[in-house]
Amino acid sequence: MNDIAINIDSVSKAFGTRLVLKNINLAVAARQSVLLCGVNGAGKSTLLNIIAGLLQPDRGSVSLSGCNINKYAQRAKSQLGVILHKPMVYPELTVIENLSFFADLYGVKKSSDRINELLEEAGIWAYRNDRAGILSHGLLQRLAIARALVHSPKILLADEPFTGLDTGACEHLISILTNFADNSGTVFMTSHDTHIGLRCCKRVLVLDKASLIFDADAGDVDAAAFSRDFVAYAGGAE
Amino acid sequence: MRYFWLSFKAVFIKDIVTELRARQVLPTMIVLGVLIVWILRMASETASAGAVIIGPVSLWIAILFSGLLAQERSFATEQQQDCICGLLLAPVDEGTIYLSKLLVNVVMLCIFEVIIVPIVVVAFHLDITAHRPALIGVLLLGNIGLSSVGTLFSAIVELTRTRGALLSILVLVILMPMMIPVTFALLAIFNGIDDELAGTGALAFVGSFKAAVGYMVAFDAIFVVVCWLLFPFVVKE
Amino acid sequence: MRRILLLAAFVLTLSSMWIALTLGTVEGPPANPESPVRNIIYIHVPSSIFALFCFVALLTGSVGYLITSKPGWDILAAASAEVGAIFAIISNLTGSIFSRAEWNIWWTPSPRLIFTAILLLLYIVYLILRSSLEGSARRKARICAVFGIVAFIDVPMVIISARFIPDIHRPGFSFTSSWQRAAFFLSMAAMILLGSLMISLKAEILRSKARLEEQTFS
Repeated sequence: MNDIAINIDSVSKAFGTRLVLKNINLAVAARQSVLLCGVNGAGKSTLLNIIAGLLQPDRGSVSLSGCNINKYAQRAKSQLGVILHKPMVYPELTVIENLSFFADLYGVKKSSDRINELLEEAGIWAYRNDRAGILSHGLLQRLAIARALVHSPKILLADEPFTGLDTGACEHLISILTNFADNSGTVFMTSHDTHIGLRCCKRVLVLDKASLIFDADAGDVDAAAFSRDFVAYAGGAE
Repeated sequence: MRYFWLSFKAVFIKDIVTELRARQVLPTMIVLGVLIVWILRMASETASAGAVIIGPVSLWIAILFSGLLAQERSFATEQQQDCICGLLLAPVDEGTIYLSKLLVNVVMLCIFEVIIVPIVVVAFHLDITAHRPALIGVLLLGNIGLSSVGTLFSAIVELTRTRGALLSILVLVILMPMMIPVTFALLAIFNGIDDELAGTGALAFVGSFKAAVGYMVAFDAIFVVVCWLLFPFVVKE
Repeated sequence: MRRILLLAAFVLTLSSMWIALTLGTVEGPPANPESPVRNIIYIHVPSSIFALFCFVALLTGSVGYLITSKPGWDILAAASAEVGAIFAIISNLTGSIFSRAEWNIWWTPSPRLIFTAILLLLYIVYLILRSSLEGSARRKARICAVFGIVAFIDVPMVIISARFIPDIHRPGFSFTSSWQRAAFFLSMAAMILLGSLMISLKAEILRSKARLEEQTFS
């Protein structure tokens, strides 16, 4: 069994003449939880989309548990759960119909048991027969998390999952992420809110000017100083 | 194989349920179709060629332009909430997505035709008692041809957020070769081809009904396979 | 090298024109046998053939790009489409002029004329698609390649479906002398040379643009 959950090998990406990622090399071990920080436009979402296989890098490759995301796409994708900016749910379908659809797509057996379990965990059991289009942002985010976990993935990618959530919803999401990591899952997330990010993750990275400039254990980081200005903190640490 | 059927069925049912609940596409298609038939019915009052020629032609024009509306919606729903990303993140073959959406478009066109064909028959006083199976066959082949190309180009237009009426020109230019055999087949079904007209003028066709249907089968087979093979190149970023 | 080829194309064109209008001249239509209008066939037929050749180049570029993702193939497809559109316009215009002189109508739905008209439309739609697409250069190239392949498969479908309409006017043209044959083949050679040079020039412009963008990695 490969101990490296996410392996990013010399990945570069440009949009037109703007270089967004330059020769990124990163290995995330299995059962690790990683926080990626960066200012707006640093390339965090681009890197996450490349790991998820939604974007192709101009150079380099990505492997998930040893499976190249392009060559063995189906095998790689079946172990990946992804939370992006938008919830990726169908507004005309009910909550339970959305989850059933994604369960079928991932070939989940006995999906009704799994869906009921997720509805309870995500705290949206009461809304199961409501159309996704009428849900509030917070409830949509919970549905998005349930969607990402419906097939029991080994790796969870989350792109700024705390955006727009109230305190209660944030705490709920923190507990889901820490439970996932505690139950042998690998978490790779981006967040502007470094306080919350440092609570969920054991390893922290900083992306600036197309390169990874900082990589350390969360326990070794001065949370207050890091949260004030992580780019300066990372530059000082260099 | 089992996985293919599961994901194919899931996408198909999801799209049908979404369309029927949204109730946007079908009413618009029917209104547009009826308007086209109505305009041509009025125009045929002044034409000496008569109902047996303009009637079948108006049916095909209505199917074509109303069908384009259905094709546009194919991927518009996937654009909401970035749902296309949800589909691409799943371990589903992109070709499966194409085939299910193709079937959804064919079904929508069939539902539309169940409503528009009686309207055309009544408006133009046409007689279809003798050739109902042939009519169903020709319309189904037309639906598959239109949907095969429309589904692929709808993905191009919607997923690249291209503005303008690009879908119409992309689909219609590729469908140009289909126009002649379909028109010929429909005219033959509704007895619009007069022996006196054969071999002369713009309405004269050579060849037989069987040849026209054979052409349509070949067109559909070729374009379904080609579009299915090319679809993954369109959806990937 | 390009200048030499351009000069060669110029010489071939002049010589074919001279032979066409003197030794290889085609007799005018029955209504007016003295009219030189039928000599337009020396431009019409080669330009139609070359327009089709450009489509083959477009297909080659499209397939090449989808397989290798190398920008050179996309550049070939884009350049071929522009040049092919020009030759398709020439073919349609000269065909109309010939039609008018021969049968007193500018256009009729006969198989050959339908084919040349649809070929032009396919080129135009390809160029419109190319200019309308938004997104990364890689994605634009991929989508244009997809359309190029679908459009090329459409071409034989057009030829076959047009057979459902009778070819009401059969031109029945054939060479009556070796001078006519010479004029035709010289014209064909000139058209191929000129067209290839145009594709090569356009491709170089597009390549320079792509090179500027590639410098972001240095």
